[in-house]
Amino acid sequence: RGGFGGAGAKGGQRVVIEPHRHAGVFVARGKEDLLVTKNIAPGESVYGEKRISVQNPPAEGAADGDAPTSIEYRVWNPFRSKLAAGILGGLADIHMKPGSKVLYLGAASGTSVSHVADLVGPTGVVYAVEFSHRSGRDLINMATHRTNVIPIVEDARHPLRYRMLVSMVDCIFADVAQPDQARIVALNAHLFLKVGGGVVVSIKANCIDSTAAPEVVFSKEVEKLRSERIKPKEQLTLEPFERDHAMVVGVYQRSA
Amino acid sequence: MTADYLLYESSVGYSIFKVALQADSVGNRLKEVQERSQNLATFGKMVDLVSFAPFQGASQALENANEISEGLASNFLMAVVEANIPKSKSKKSILGVSDKNLASSIKSSFPYIECETSETSEVVADLLRGLRQHAPKLLKQLQETDIGQAQLGLGHAYSRARVKFSVQKNDNHII
Repeated sequence: RGGFGGAGAKGGQRVVIEPHRHAGVFVARGKEDLLVTKNIAPGESVYGEKRISVQNPPAEGAADGDAPTSIEYRVWNPFRSKLAAGILGGLADIHMKPGSKVLYLGAASGTSVSHVADLVGPTGVVYAVEFSHRSGRDLINMATHRTNVIPIVEDARHPLRYRMLVSMVDCIFADVAQPDQARIVALNAHLFLKVGGGVVVSIKANCIDSTAAPEVVFSKEVEKLRSERIKPKEQLTLEPFERDHAMVVGVYQRSA
Repeated sequence: MTADYLLYESSVGYSIFKVALQADSVGNRLKEVQERSQNLATFGKMVDLVSFAPFQGASQALENANEISEGLASNFLMAVVEANIPKSKSKKSILGVSDKNLASSIKSSFPYIECETSETSEVVADLLRGLRQHAPKLLKQLQETDIGQAQLGLGHAYSRARVKFSVQKNDNHII
């Protein structure tokens, strides 16, 4: 096998890919089970993650002479991505599927964003907002190879500034780790989120209030979301991948 | 109070819509009222496209995106507004705009226009949400993918300008 593989997923030949409960996410069953997404820019890793190539079963009615095609998957590390940790933790609904439009707040260098881009596929769009210029460069670089990612280097606190770049979205994912996170999410939801669209927020207790108990911080944040017409549906801690983090999923409702 | 006209800024150009069916601010949060703007068939009856002014290329789009993000009205936007909002001395026209800074820029240049923003009127906020949702269908001169394509190009151009990033050069990290 040409060069990739390495230590962990070395049983490469024996890997079987199965679809996950969430559309667009897959599980690679080998020596150990790994969460993977289908790479939409085959042949390259974004941040040094492992890739798994599997032979495509021959398509119906394909001629004998056709070269076997292979599909490449990228391993999604739950220790590096909170959304992956949330999926492994058993979120019932992530509100993203192939074809979805996702507004991603706190995109950072675009490592998790690249997996969300894989998940929504070529028919979906990811609007990736990041304020920091330094990570913004990496984000733009990543987006040059993935045409369904629209990089936006701008402050998510002022969604009006990037309103020309964003359409109505099906889901807002937020990982901004700011004390006014709930407000930032709400501002964006009021402008860009469809009625009935999903809100997936990762909350780091330390970033909101480092003196209060994490459970108290989480329930306060959920209360704030509720007051902004986001109906909370589920809450999940991200143990064992992150400490004192919670993932909250809600649904946006416009009518009272 | 609701708007007579709406300004929608998209990645492909500016468009001005006339509000055909005035909504009522009292019952705005009712489920039935909200569902009306969800559906293209019913929402299409609430607004009429007055004019769509496309940008002439990527550089003009970027210029306008930068001005819009600062809350300034570009000359192009001024021309669009002037051409499409009737100048009536007796009754001021009310234009629904997303941003309050942009609203004050427009108001200061056109004394016959009054502005409502998403913040001052929830009805305007809902109408603008409806425009954003249905714009690809309402702007009939466009293909449905046009807005997405323009967003991609404009997003890259806008973000690159902000980080002063060039594709030609390899990135030099300053640590």
